[in-house]
Amino acid sequence: MASKDLGIEQYRRRQRFWNVVESPYVVHLVLFLSVFFIVGPLAWELLTSFKTNQAVYNLTYLPREPTLESYYIALFDRGFWRAVVNSIIIASASTVAVMILGTPAGYVFSRYRFPFDNLVFTFVLFTRLFPPIGLVVPYYRIMRFFGILNTRTGIVIAYVYLWLPLVIYIMRNFFITIPQELDEAARVDGCTKIQAFRHVVFPVVLPGFAAGTILTFLYSWREFLFAFTVSTDLSSMTIPVATYLFVGDTSIQWASMAAAAVVATIPSALVVFFFQRYIVVGLTGGLKR
Amino acid sequence: MSDVYRRVPETTFGRVKQLVSEFANDHVRLVLLGPALVSLLVIFIYPVAYLVWSSMQRTLAFGVGAEFAPTANYAAMVEDPTFWSAVEKTLTYSFGSFAVSMLAGLVIALALNNVVRKRLRDTYTTLILLSWAVPLSIVGVTWRWMFNGQLGVVNKILRDVGLLSQNFSWLANPDTAMAVVIMADAWSRIPFATIIILAGLQSIPQEMYDAARVDGATTLQTFRHVTLPYLRPSFFVAGLITWMFAFRAFAIPFSTTGGGPASATEVLAIYIHRFGIELFDFGFASAVSMFLVGVTLIVAGIYVNVILEQISEIEA
Repeated sequence: MASKDLGIEQYRRRQRFWNVVESPYVVHLVLFLSVFFIVGPLAWELLTSFKTNQAVYNLTYLPREPTLESYYIALFDRGFWRAVVNSIIIASASTVAVMILGTPAGYVFSRYRFPFDNLVFTFVLFTRLFPPIGLVVPYYRIMRFFGILNTRTGIVIAYVYLWLPLVIYIMRNFFITIPQELDEAARVDGCTKIQAFRHVVFPVVLPGFAAGTILTFLYSWREFLFAFTVSTDLSSMTIPVATYLFVGDTSIQWASMAAAAVVATIPSALVVFFFQRYIVVGLTGGLKR
Repeated sequence: MSDVYRRVPETTFGRVKQLVSEFANDHVRLVLLGPALVSLLVIFIYPVAYLVWSSMQRTLAFGVGAEFAPTANYAAMVEDPTFWSAVEKTLTYSFGSFAVSMLAGLVIALALNNVVRKRLRDTYTTLILLSWAVPLSIVGVTWRWMFNGQLGVVNKILRDVGLLSQNFSWLANPDTAMAVVIMADAWSRIPFATIIILAGLQSIPQEMYDAARVDGATTLQTFRHVTLPYLRPSFFVAGLITWMFAFRAFAIPFSTTGGGPASATEVLAIYIHRFGIELFDFGFASAVSMFLVGVTLIVAGIYVNVILEQISEIEA
């Protein structure tokens, strides 16, 4: 390609430079720095959370006397444990609802033709890309009208709107990878169309289903905008909202806020640790496959 | 469609059951797709219609009533300098976050692609995915805490290293506040960019690299003539999504600075939230929302075209 116009000496000199750039040392150095940048802020929250709210003012890197006091203050004195319960209920309920609605829909888009099918699919994609912030004010007023402000139901409804299009899209992409002959074979063996979907094709896409479930759960767990708009009431607010509300205090209890942040992050972190591969599959689910 | 040879059930329940399953079989599209579409219609189309309608209502004092005035809110919006300043901040914010996360994502993905051992690569990927999984408001309060003027760890490190002689109030200065918010946003977006770009890198056939090597290409030339062309689609998709989602970002800027100091980081989403939820000026907030929706839909149109193109490639 290029060695023609580059002298061989010049080529060697340049390539020596790039060999250094590509060497394992540089690669791992880059990755170490990146990991430090990513994990550093989380580590700092973790260290802060083991201090007391007063010890924070001593400006030490490590907690001098590690204690769980801030956790106690956050979880019990401030009633934060109820936000934990709310978050678990809301994330689970919305994940179940979204997967039950979205999986069959994705299957239909991958298999069947019907009038305006491309248009309907484009509509689903647009729903996904529509900026949710635009619907915050309507949602707020509609929910106030129906009396579901400050309820878990309200947040779950908002989450179905947020993640259903995404799950339809992801599941469709997974179903497309399964050859249609599988359905036909099941039909020949006497399955109804529904049975072919439920008992033959669905089990094959279980990994994809798992990816969709994990992604939906994580997205619901970390969502803030709707949870914050729809509910700031202890009976229904989620962990991200409860953690944010520390900011409103006249003097912020930094250590307790850090403890709350750690409590909010641990479940996400565990999911990432155990299901990293599924998350990667889910995130890239819409691309080349 | 029903099966001729099927045994006729004897009980009423059995007959009903058979009828239901026959109906489901005959209308399989309706049964499987219907619930999802109806839900979307109710929880998406209804609020959207409500948004359009309320953007054409002038809200009276304290949100207790409204009168029909189709263009009043839009006119007020266009004439309002604070709106344009929010637009400008949103552009700075979204392009800043886009640039940082795409650049970092590219570098990290290239590095990850050079890690030979799969176990090690997976470990790095897991650690890098962590910031993506952190709840968005936690990202905000974490960066708020790190950059706190008196107690923040960033000031402490800079002073211990000797780069600062006294504390600097990062979040009280308009420029540094914007920079911190952009970094916080990019921090949570880097993993996504990395994953998508890495997937693109891994789809490049090894033969292309071998051929380039045989031809005597330097690494830089290989990158320019082999890697980049192959990478373009996934880089494009990652970039579009990153920018689009940064453009509408609410949670991270809101929980890091709350839009301050003095609205220096008040992006459109915070602006909408302030007028719609805090000041009860629903009409004006809806008009601004319509603007944000319009911009997003244009970009989304490009994205959907790309996606549909890729899908038809796969189906062909």
